[in-house]
Amino acid sequence: MDEREHLKARDLLGLYVLGSLDPEEEWEAEEHLRRCAACQTEERDLRKTHERLSELAGVQEAPQPEIKASLMGSLPRRGTLREWRHAPIFAAAAALIALALVAVFSSSGLLGRDAMASATLEPTEYAPQGGGELRVQEEDPNARATLEVWNLPECKKNEYYELWFGKESGRVSAGTFKVDEGGRETLQMNVPEEAGNYGQVGITLEEFPEEPRMYSAKPVLTGELEGT
Amino acid sequence: MIVRVGGEGRGMRGIEDEVLVRQVASGDERALSDLYDRYSGLVYGAGLRYLGDRGAAEDLVQDVFVSVWKSAAGFDPGKAGFATWIFRITRNRATDLIRRRRARVRTVGEYALKPPFEPGEEDSAGRIARSFDVTAALSRLSPVHREVLVLAYIEGLTQREISARTGTPLGTIKSRTTAALRSLRENMLFEESSDG
Repeated sequence: MDEREHLKARDLLGLYVLGSLDPEEEWEAEEHLRRCAACQTEERDLRKTHERLSELAGVQEAPQPEIKASLMGSLPRRGTLREWRHAPIFAAAAALIALALVAVFSSSGLLGRDAMASATLEPTEYAPQGGGELRVQEEDPNARATLEVWNLPECKKNEYYELWFGKESGRVSAGTFKVDEGGRETLQMNVPEEAGNYGQVGITLEEFPEEPRMYSAKPVLTGELEGT
Repeated sequence: MIVRVGGEGRGMRGIEDEVLVRQVASGDERALSDLYDRYSGLVYGAGLRYLGDRGAAEDLVQDVFVSVWKSAAGFDPGKAGFATWIFRITRNRATDLIRRRRARVRTVGEYALKPPFEPGEEDSAGRIARSFDVTAALSRLSPVHREVLVLAYIEGLTQREISARTGTPLGTIKSRTTAALRSLRENMLFEESSDG
C-alpha cells in the first residue's frame, strides 16, 4: 500500500465520519478503508468520538447571560454570612431577607430527638391583616410542623400558599395549602429532613402552573424559628 | 448561538478543571467563572431534560454552581474527575427539585402537573453523563483543536464556514478536524480510565 495514500486517507477520516467530504474524497476514503485494517480501527474510534460530540451538541444549551451575572453577584462570602438582601438572586424574597440570619436549628439541634421549635408568623404588605403560628415537633422518624394561619386572602383559581424553610443560601418547601373563606387554615405537614439547617420560615402565595421563584416570591407571612 | 463549551478567557488556555476547582476552593471567583463557562450549558441542558422547564433549569444552574463554590474544598480528584463530580451534583439537585415538585402535585391535587423526567432512570441520563465527560475532554484540548470541534459540532458550521470564520485555509481546517477528533478520543480514554 502506498504510504502517501495511507496518510492522506487517514487525514480525511475525521471528515469522513463527520460526513463532510466531497463525493470524490469520500469514494477515495472508502476505497482505502476497504484495504486498510489500521484505518478501519481508526475510523471506528473516530466515529465513536463523533457520536459523543453529537450527543453533547444535542444536550447542551447556553443559559441566558443574566444567570451568570446573578450567580457571580450572589456568591456567599467565604467565612462570613452574607445577608440575603445583598444577594440579587434572593432580593425579591424581601420579608424573609429582612430577618436576621440565625441558624437556630443547626446551632441548638432543634430538630433533634423530642426537640421543638416555633415561629410567630408576621404579615407582609401582601397580607397586612394576616398572621400565623408554626410549631415543629419531632415525630419519629420525621419532624412534623403544625401550622395555623388566619386572615389570609382567599386563593383565586390556580393560586395556593406554600410553606418554606429558609436560610442564607436558599429555601426548601414543606408543602402547600389553601385557606377557607375566612382566610383560616390549620394543618400538619412533614418537615423536610434538611429543614434542620434553616432558621426562618415564610409562606408565599404561588400560582399554578408557574414554578415558585425566589426572585418573584410574594411572601405573605414570615417568621424566625426559635427554640421553646 | 453562544459557544460556551470548552470555556472562554482563561479557560481557553486550557487550565484543567481540577486546577480551577482548587482555585475556587481558595475563593477565586474567576476560576468559578471559567468553570461556569465550560459547564453551564451542559447543566442547563440537563436541567431542561430533567425538569422540562426553562425557569427550573435556570434555578438548577444557580444551585449547582453555588454548590461548586461552597463545596470546592471537599472535592477529591483522587476519587473522580470534576466532570463526574459536577454531574452528580446536577443529578442530585435535579432530583431534589423533582421531589419538591411532586410534593406540590400531591398537595395541590386538582391541578395535576406533568410527571417530570427522572434522572438516572433511562438512557438520556447516560447521554447526559457522557456529555459531561466529553466536555471535560474538550477542555483538555489545545485551543485550536477545541475551536474547530466546537464550531463544527456545537455551532454546526461547515468546513468552509469554519475556514472563513477563523481565517484559516480550508485544507488546514480539514486536517485539523481529524487531528482534533483523534486528540479528543485520546482525552476521553484518559477521562474514562481516571474515573474508574
